[in-house]
Amino acid sequence: MVDALHEAHRVLGPHGLLVDARPDSRVLAHAEHVTPRGFRSLGLIATAAAELGNDRASDRAVAAVVREGLFRSRRRGRFWHRVHFAGLAGLQDYLDDHLRFVHRVRWKVDPATRRRLRHEPFVIRRAVRYEVLERR
Amino acid sequence: MSVTASFAVGRRLPAISSALRPPALDELGQYGGTGMLRGKRVLDVGTGDGRLALGAAPYAREVEGVDPDADAIRDADAKAREAGLANVRFRVGAAQELPYPDARFEVVIMSWTL
Repeated sequence: MVDALHEAHRVLGPHGLLVDARPDSRVLAHAEHVTPRGFRSLGLIATAAAELGNDRASDRAVAAVVREGLFRSRRRGRFWHRVHFAGLAGLQDYLDDHLRFVHRVRWKVDPATRRRLRHEPFVIRRAVRYEVLERR
Repeated sequence: MSVTASFAVGRRLPAISSALRPPALDELGQYGGTGMLRGKRVLDVGTGDGRLALGAAPYAREVEGVDPDADAIRDADAKAREAGLANVRFRVGAAQELPYPDARFEVVIMSWTL
């Protein structure tokens, strides 16, 4: 990771900008039911342990190149991104097929409510963190 | 805090699929908008199928996308041709050994890359 950041530094001109954006595992993702009035969070989804380790390694890599004096932080923030599913089965398939999240939603509603809503649209709302770094 | 959205997904989408990521302009808007790209040479590292590079191309002077996945690069090339974008180019390559000369770009984007 540090190697990739060194390469970014090399190909950037003076005061060029590097955007680093990644899923933000410091906050839980939400399983949201799509209603006519908007979105209602019905469950929480944690990041898989292996991905948490990768995220920490990425954080350390960015901190290292800032410490080296290659970049300085210009701006950072977080935004949310929604991935849409036609029903609960699609959402579960997504969790089963991808490594980023744990495979089980921590539901805030009972199984009967989930059965009632299973054919209605759902989203996973996930956080993305970013930092804009300026090449020194 | 703003929220972006991508369209409905199902099984068997490749992990790099644009369907799982925010629309390019929504995402670029978070980082500073198209003003950050205007007239600039931009490199999208880990470009995948070119989602962000293609989104940036109408605003940038020149966009390069690099990714180790040759299949994804072929998809990106096809999309660029289909969109008639003449200022975007894609190459197979690794983030740890970028196939570009020193100081070539004014903006480098690493989205979901580190």
